[in-house]
Amino acid sequence: MSVLARPWSRLTPAGKVVLPLLGLLVFLTLALLVGFATGLIPGLIRFVGDLLGANIGIVRFVVAASAILLMSVPTAFVIIYMELKVIALMNLRLGPNRVGPWGSLHSIVHGLKVLGKEDFTPTGVDVPVFTLAPAVTFLAPVLGLLVLPFAPGLLGIDMNLALLYFFAVSGLSVLGLMMAGWSSFNKYSLLGGLRAAAQIISYEIPLTLAVVGVIMLAGTMSLNQIVMNQSGSILDWYMFKQPLGFVIFFIAATAEGNRTPFDLTEADSELVAGFATEYSGMRFGFFFFAEYVGVFILSALTTVLFLGGWNAPFDIDPVLNALGIRFDLALDLARLDVGLLFLLALGPVVGTLLIALPIWMLRSDWSFLKSLVIGFILLNVLLAAAVGVWLALSFEAVVGLGWFLVKTYFFVFLFVWMRATLPRVRIDQLMGFAWKWMLPASLVNLFVTALAIIVVSEVR
Amino acid sequence: MAQQTRVRSLDDPDVFVESPATIYDAVPPYPPRTEREAEFYHLRDGEMLINLGPQHPSTHGVLRVVLKIDGERVVDLDPVIGYLHRGVEKICENGTWHHAISNCDPLEYVASMFSEAMPVLACEKLLDLQVPRRAEYIRVLAWELNRIASHALFMGWLSLDLGGLTPILYGFIERDEIVEMLNALTGQRVLFNYLRIGGVNGDLNHDFMSRLGDWMSHAAEQVENQTKLINENEIFVGRTRGLGVVDRATALRMCATGPVLRATGIPYDIRRAHPYSVYNELEFDVPTREEGDSYARYLVHVDEIKQSIHIIDQVLHQMPDGTVMAKIPRWIRPRPGRAWVSIESPRGQYGAYVMSDGSDHPFRMRIRDPSFFNLSLVGHLMPGNLIADTMAIMASLDPVMGGIDK
Repeated sequence: MSVLARPWSRLTPAGKVVLPLLGLLVFLTLALLVGFATGLIPGLIRFVGDLLGANIGIVRFVVAASAILLMSVPTAFVIIYMELKVIALMNLRLGPNRVGPWGSLHSIVHGLKVLGKEDFTPTGVDVPVFTLAPAVTFLAPVLGLLVLPFAPGLLGIDMNLALLYFFAVSGLSVLGLMMAGWSSFNKYSLLGGLRAAAQIISYEIPLTLAVVGVIMLAGTMSLNQIVMNQSGSILDWYMFKQPLGFVIFFIAATAEGNRTPFDLTEADSELVAGFATEYSGMRFGFFFFAEYVGVFILSALTTVLFLGGWNAPFDIDPVLNALGIRFDLALDLARLDVGLLFLLALGPVVGTLLIALPIWMLRSDWSFLKSLVIGFILLNVLLAAAVGVWLALSFEAVVGLGWFLVKTYFFVFLFVWMRATLPRVRIDQLMGFAWKWMLPASLVNLFVTALAIIVVSEVR
Repeated sequence: MAQQTRVRSLDDPDVFVESPATIYDAVPPYPPRTEREAEFYHLRDGEMLINLGPQHPSTHGVLRVVLKIDGERVVDLDPVIGYLHRGVEKICENGTWHHAISNCDPLEYVASMFSEAMPVLACEKLLDLQVPRRAEYIRVLAWELNRIASHALFMGWLSLDLGGLTPILYGFIERDEIVEMLNALTGQRVLFNYLRIGGVNGDLNHDFMSRLGDWMSHAAEQVENQTKLINENEIFVGRTRGLGVVDRATALRMCATGPVLRATGIPYDIRRAHPYSVYNELEFDVPTREEGDSYARYLVHVDEIKQSIHIIDQVLHQMPDGTVMAKIPRWIRPRPGRAWVSIESPRGQYGAYVMSDGSDHPFRMRIRDPSFFNLSLVGHLMPGNLIADTMAIMASLDPVMGGIDK
């Protein structure tokens, strides 16, 4: 053993990585050869293919669930960066500006920092509940992503009770907050948890009632169907048919997402950090991500229900036709034959030079190398833009996704704007507002909608 | 607490002990010493103690308040002060009169131009010293600038404690401009140590005057912008109007001064009631409000900023020429006797009662800090309100713990 151990200890760190990888490579090559020789591997592939084909529903679910889990954290990163930057600009500060261009990698470093922090469990906490609470809080909004239609055909599951599922799942977050508040063995946490329970349950009612008007108009609870009902002109968006419902929904969503001015559960000037007081490290990170994913799904749901989801606000094709502009982008690269090779070999070089030479000639103080680097970067940007345009024109889903994200991030921006502007309401004002104003208003909205539907159908 | 908990022993972390009053409770680990303590720490059903501070985001320094709460409602409270106690009055007795100036500086660390005036004015009174008029005008200029800096910060803190993020930064922009200006004048940003017995340390300089000119050109507009964000804000007004109402009798009985007193409708301002320095040559209003609530206190602060800008404008127009230091002996030994001086600080009447025994150091110096008296109103204002309101009330009284703990 010691004979083997001595050379191992003399290896450089890189060697310690490469050597096992080499061994693995040799093993895999041998295994593949043996597998193909015996016909084992083709049989296995056929078997797995048949299995997946037979259970396409399960495969679709697993792929969708993995996809939303993978997208939830980057979404949170984007919104965190956006919030830091937008609030900073509103406060006349610079905001994050160190990591990456304009500080754009700040939230990633932030996330890594949270990962690296000590995960501390204080004395006296109810350990299993304390450990589970962040996971429950984080999973609630992430599960809500599963039914959101991002673009035509791009959605996790097309459920016909999607809206009901959404409210059921996102209502779970209150459970996580209460678990955190109760198990933390801290009075600030306890007050925060109880406030969360009172607030979120109160605002669920106007939130749900405001949506019932949309359900009555659409005649379905499938989010995909609701979006499709709003296709057509901009006037088909439910925002214009349900203005009161739209306003109630947005206010209630603010309270549902624990955002300013309704962020009483973690009121930092009163309850230190509310339910999250005793949390540190990645457990706190989960609460943090949950809040921002929550902001995203609430904005996305507002978009889907009231702003026509992935529908464009205006139809661009007639305009283009009237101007006589036509895009024919049926690329057939195979037609180029050997020319394709030349294109791949010479295209980047010629393109870089074409951009770099004018720069070099105009900016006499730049070296040629610098101009070349700038030209190469610009060429890449142009190519990326060209690919983007080609994608957008070729695939309907890309345009739809673009419109969906534009609308959603508009609402995210509204949330951030409110956070920068408004103070916090008091708990009695909050509850009074929910029960005295929001609930009657949403009932009136419901009544008027029902009446209008009957009257319209009678007139016809 | 009714239910005892098993906690890790502080002596041996591996051992769990059935703790009496656990380390997590705000209950003191000794039997009650007074009747009030016994009453306060006796919890009825459904009540609990919550410990606010000394390390809490919104207690303005190191004030600790033990709140007895029933749900969200505050039943009773026990403020604990003294975390910042330095024994300034005693320290002053052990140094010369000049040392007392810098020792008194950090008392009111948000507006230290006022607290450092205490030994200066008292010594001048004992010496029967005539301060040059230019020095008096420069003092008024520095005081009013510092008052605006303090009030701008107050407006920010109040809305920060109500959950608004932005106004505090606008307040700091205002304060930073003034503080940089005073830095150019005095060489210090926070603890200026600028006033001297018989005048001020250094005449106005070019850096200061150019910064002051820049600032004066947009000061009024900047205040307007800042107030526009919060004055008419429905949530801000809803949170502060009718909250923490002080009536005139209580305010007088509790010796409240400054904006807290003026918000109840009593136009008592030392600058007008007992004019000192050159305030009787200057024209200004004493803004008052009738309501006595947090919102009225906030509005009084806003109006006072405008009046201070008006005063600065006059000072700059009337500034006489001359020296900025009177001729005084290097070794100051005032006559034996007593002197009472008081000035209007941003928080109210800042006073000092000083005894001299004819030596070169104060024999006894007692400082009256307005924050202490204003803060004692919390016992009247908080019970019956919600936890969230304790912050709004405390912030609207604008305490500075340096002066309270002395």
